Parts: sequence; C-alpha cells; structure tokens
Amino acid sequence: MSKEKTTKQILEESSKKKKRTPLYNPEAIKDIKNGFDKWKKGMVRPQDNANWSMTPYTIMGSEIDKNMIYTPLDVEDIDYIEDIGFSGDEPYTRGVHTNMYRGKSFTMRPLPGAGSPTEMNKRYKFLIDQGATGLAVALDLATVQMFDSDEPESNGQVGVVGVPIDCVEDMEVIFKDIPIDKISVSIVTHFPRNTAILLPMYLVMAERRGIPWDKLIGSVQNDFIMESVVRGACEYIPPRDDFRVQCDNIEYIRKEVPKWNYITLNGYNLREEGTSGITSMAVAIANGIEIIKDMIKRGHDADWAGQRVAFFWSFGNDFFEEIASLRAIRRLWYKVMKYRFGAKDPRSMWMRCHIQTSGITLTREEPLNNIIRAAFHGLSAVLGGTQSLHVDTYDEAFSVPSERTLMPSVRTQQIIEAETQITQVVDPLAGSFYIEALTNEVEKRILGELEDIEKMGGLVEAVDTGWLHSKVASYIQREHRMIEDAKIKVVGRNIYQAADMELPPIEPSIFRESVQRDMKEKLARIRQKRDNKKVEKCLNDLVDACKTGKNVMQYTVECARADATEGEMRRAFTKAFGSWKPPIYA
Amino acid sequence: MANKKIKVLMAQFSLETHTRGLFVVAGMLRDEGMEVVLIGNGTPEQIIETAIQEDVDVIGISTYCGGELVLGKVLIDKAKERGIKDRIVIMMGGIFPPVDEPQLLKMGFDAVFPPGAVSSREKICKFVKDTVAAKAA
Repeated sequence: MSKEKTTKQILEESSKKKKRTPLYNPEAIKDIKNGFDKWKKGMVRPQDNANWSMTPYTIMGSEIDKNMIYTPLDVEDIDYIEDIGFSGDEPYTRGVHTNMYRGKSFTMRPLPGAGSPTEMNKRYKFLIDQGATGLAVALDLATVQMFDSDEPESNGQVGVVGVPIDCVEDMEVIFKDIPIDKISVSIVTHFPRNTAILLPMYLVMAERRGIPWDKLIGSVQNDFIMESVVRGACEYIPPRDDFRVQCDNIEYIRKEVPKWNYITLNGYNLREEGTSGITSMAVAIANGIEIIKDMIKRGHDADWAGQRVAFFWSFGNDFFEEIASLRAIRRLWYKVMKYRFGAKDPRSMWMRCHIQTSGITLTREEPLNNIIRAAFHGLSAVLGGTQSLHVDTYDEAFSVPSERTLMPSVRTQQIIEAETQITQVVDPLAGSFYIEALTNEVEKRILGELEDIEKMGGLVEAVDTGWLHSKVASYIQREHRMIEDAKIKVVGRNIYQAADMELPPIEPSIFRESVQRDMKEKLARIRQKRDNKKVEKCLNDLVDACKTGKNVMQYTVECARADATEGEMRRAFTKAFGSWKPPIYA
Repeated sequence: MANKKIKVLMAQFSLETHTRGLFVVAGMLRDEGMEVVLIGNGTPEQIIETAIQEDVDVIGISTYCGGELVLGKVLIDKAKERGIKDRIVIMMGGIFPPVDEPQLLKMGFDAVFPPGAVSSREKICKFVKDTVAAKAA
C-alpha cells in the first residue's frame, strides 16, 4: 500500500492545529445537560426513550440514526466561524455565493425528451420561451454509447430517449438560431470518451458560426465512473485508460474553453443506480482528488485544475438529510482543496452543483403523486443551496418526458422560486441543532467512505477490481427487499394502495423509423461529400495519440473538423485501448 | 428433472445503459436457488448464442431506454430460427410504455414485468418455475 496520507488523516491533522471557539459557553452547556437529563427521565415516555434513536429506511438512504429531538448538546463544540461561517466565505457551508438566490436564481434546466435534431431545436425554442435559463442535451442511446445512427446496434433506438448526434452537422441543426454565447448548455455526454467525441463537435459548430470558444458557457459530464461502473455497455475500455481520457479532456477544455465546466462529478447516476447519498458523494470526491493529483502530475497547480469542477447530485426522500448533505459536501470539498491541495483561489474550493430530483423514488403506481414527491425533492435542493435544478416529471416510470409532462416540473421550480419565498434568505436552516448535527455526521461518513477507497489504492483501483460494482449490486438487492417488505414505505406501492387507478395522460416516446432513416441518409450524404482521406488520417492520428499519451482531445477536435462521425471515433479509441469487462459479469 | 437447478441467462440489449433492474431480478432468482448467468449487454444474436452455449432454461431481458419492440422481435425471431423458442422461457422486465405490453406478449415473450408492485418477487419466481416446468413437460 502507498505511504501517502489519506485525506482523512490530512484533514484531521490540519484541524488539530486550529484553535476552536465553541459557539456555546461551557456553563450554558452544563445547564442544558442537566435540564435535558431531568426532562428525559421525568417527561419522556419510556417507549420513546427506548426508541430514542431510530433508523430511517428510504430509497437510496444512508440509514443514519435520528434522535427524537436535537439540542445544543448535539453540537456542543460547534465553532461558528470554522464550521458554518458566512455565505460566500470559507468554509462555504452556507453556500458559495454571498447573496445566493438574491443575486441569481437557480438555473432551471429541464432535461428535454427525444426526437430528431430538428425537433430538439424546436423544443429548445419552446423551453426558452417558457423561461428555461439553461439547456440540457439529452442523448439517445446510440449516441450515449457512441454508435452512429446507421450501425446495426442502433436499430430501434435512434431518437427514442434523447436526440441522436452523429457529427457536427447535427449540432448545427440542434442549435440553429440559439444564442449559445448567452445561454448555458449542458451536454449530457456521460462518458469521458463521449466527451472527447461530442464536445469537439459542439466547438466546431461554434467555430463555423464564428463564435469564439471563450464565449461558450456550459458543461459536460466526463466522469469515468459513469462509463466504467454506472452504465451498462457493450464496449468498455479499461478504467485506467478511461480515467486518462477524462483527465485529457479536462486539461484541453481548461486551456481552450475557459468558461466551460470540464467535468461534472456525477453522484446522481451512481446514487440512482444504487447507493446511498453518502457513497455517491464519497466516490465523486475520490474522483475529484484523483483528478487534481493527476493535473499536478501534468504540471498544473490545484487552483488551475479546480477552477471549474462541477458536481451533480440526486436528491431523494429524507428531506433534512438531503439538505444537510449538500451543506456537508460543500464544506468537505473546500477542506480537500484547501488542506490537501493548498488551493488559494476561492473558486477552486467551491462545490458548485446541479441537482436533479430522484427518478428512482418515483412510482408507476398513481403517477400524479410523483409531482408531489419531486416538489419536495426540489424544495430541499433549493434549501440546500444548489446552483441549478431539474425537477423530474411524473411519467418517469413510463417514458422519457413529453412537453405535456415537462410542464408541471418546470412550474414546480418556478413556484419554488417565485411563490414560496424560500429564496429570500440564504441557507435558512443553518443553526438548527438537527441540521448542524446532521451536516457534521454526513461529512464524517463521506470522509469515512473516502478513506476506504483510498486505502484500497484509490478510485481507479476500486473500479478495476469490481469492488464498486459489487457494492452497488448488493445495495440494490438489499434495498429492493426492504421495499418488498414495506420496511421502506412507498405510498401507492406498498402502503395506501388504491384498488384501481386510472392513469393520467402519458405520451410514451416511441421509436419512429423516419427519424433513423433521416439520420442514415444524412450520414450517407456526409460520408460522400467529406474528404475521406483526411478523415482516415485524423482517425489514425487519434489512435496514435491514445497509444503515445498525447492529449486525445486535440485530435478529436481535428476529427470533428474533418466531419468524422461519433462511431468512427469510438472505434479509434477501442482500437487503441482494447476492451474490458466489469468483473461482475460472466 | 424436478430437482435440477433452473438456469437463467440475464442480459440487456446492445446499447442499454441502466442496470438496476438487471441486478434486482438476478438477485431475486439467485435467492430462489436458481443459477443465474449475468452477462450484461449483448446483441439479440449474442444473447441467443450464449443461451444455447450455457444451456439455460430461461432468458431474462431488462430494458429501460426503448428499443424493446424492435430488438425484442429480433430476439424472438432468432430464438425461433435456432430452434429454442419452444423450450426456453423468454421474459422481459423494465420500463416500457403500457401499450407495448400486449405487443411483446403477442410477439412471443412468455411474460413481461413492468416496475412496481405488479411485478413482485413471488410473481416473477412463480412464473419462472411454473413455466419452466410446463415447457419441460
């Protein structure tokens, strides 16, 4: 095992050096303790004392025990300046901006549904008219898995769950007349390889429109956990190579597209796949740490590398714990950047995030209830201080959203923003004994799980050996058993079931042959008119770059300029790196 | 025959990304004492060929992202072509629009299981045991 200190050890050492000023004076704490003991003995019922601490069971829950009531005794050594502080200031527990939503409301970024590039363009214009302030590009399966629309594997799946993108021309159609120098665009690229393929297509589209890259704002996912763990795939590359592509992308984007968020550490999909929020955060932080270490190895400093790291979380049912977890992860990322890596620039210590409300907690039974669930999830995300939000639609368990089902989810966000008044006051739950105690507990647990990963030799190792895959698989099975036994309560599914419910309108996204046919025709036309010799050379150069350790993205940009397709670039990666299969599969 | 362990191949189609349902059902069948061969993603052709090689009694397909009708048909046709349709139970579970259910059954799937309480552990396991026994008889 490496002699390198773990993050937990480093943070413990740094906190020991600090002088702490507890918020509560020792005399008050003594009085409270006496009063508490007397009250607990004299007034609390024996059965409540016996069940003082209870374990909540929720979907994707962490099972942190909760006491019946919280008092200053649960946070008796809390130091306001060190642990909570002011918004926009260290340790950023209360938020990364001083004025939070008074300055800028959370970005409302609905994840739109499916269709052809032309239909997607139309839908973006509709969403902008409805008040959307950011766009997200959801991809169809073929595009996610980096297959061209005309490969046999893509049959039946083109344009079903998102938009198909094969080459630069598709980007041109999707973003026609959309002011991409003003509106932020989140390209849901999932994988590092796919980021290396699709972002260059977006960049070349901007180039052809005469928009300089330093004007572009948006984000990509680019998380190797998505590719190696979360997503099933017919083709994997070894996790170590995948991690490298992730870091190549970061380095290139950081240099060439300065306002772009070059990685979205994706806790969302891992949690939805099947982990607690704690594990999803520990894994994201572990990846973040490996990235900064890698960038330092490449000769950059932590502040340079940490500038635009973004995070993506799933928000589920345990209302207060979700809020506390966002506060905890903000403080922890700050500590990691400051004490582990010596960062000085506040921006590189900010845990900025997008939150999507949980999809897996939504039910097929009585789907309108999902509007209510998602509204609570969204409310907790805003109370926790997210930068950006997507509220899931009620037809989650049936299909990707249609315009009709998107509407209540856009409206939910607008009601939170314009009517509830919760955005008036920054971090309104701070100082609650419960919230602060829970924030401490969540932070401690994330750090504990991070320690496990680091002791294993780091995140890449934990993936390569299949440890994380097995952890997810067993979490899912145990959780499912608890839903069956109604230990985890799900209204409409295992408690309060209606005998017979009429379904609300659901318009499933179906496969239309015509979308795939048009995409195939376009590919045929592109392959005819482009300079195929040049394409071949660019693809060979890409293979060579992969093998010789050069930054891959500068080569995929050349491929995109030559109108190489997504599938062609995928095959170049596979040719260079070979294939891999998670050990969990036969 | 009665005591032979039921062998199930669990897979998802080519490009599918979501694996939660696959793990849930694989776990259920293992808990019930069945042998599960979990292969992850495969084309319909690969799935059928693996089913033959592994000599399984059941093929379980998990789907989420669409393509169940198009690829489902390829799978069933391939099973017929290779002469295993009558002796192997083929089932599908996951997210698909309610209107697809009758179509999948008509196409030749022995059962379809959407998410939620309608697809309980008891129901899935009983279906597999009963149908395997019926096909063997």
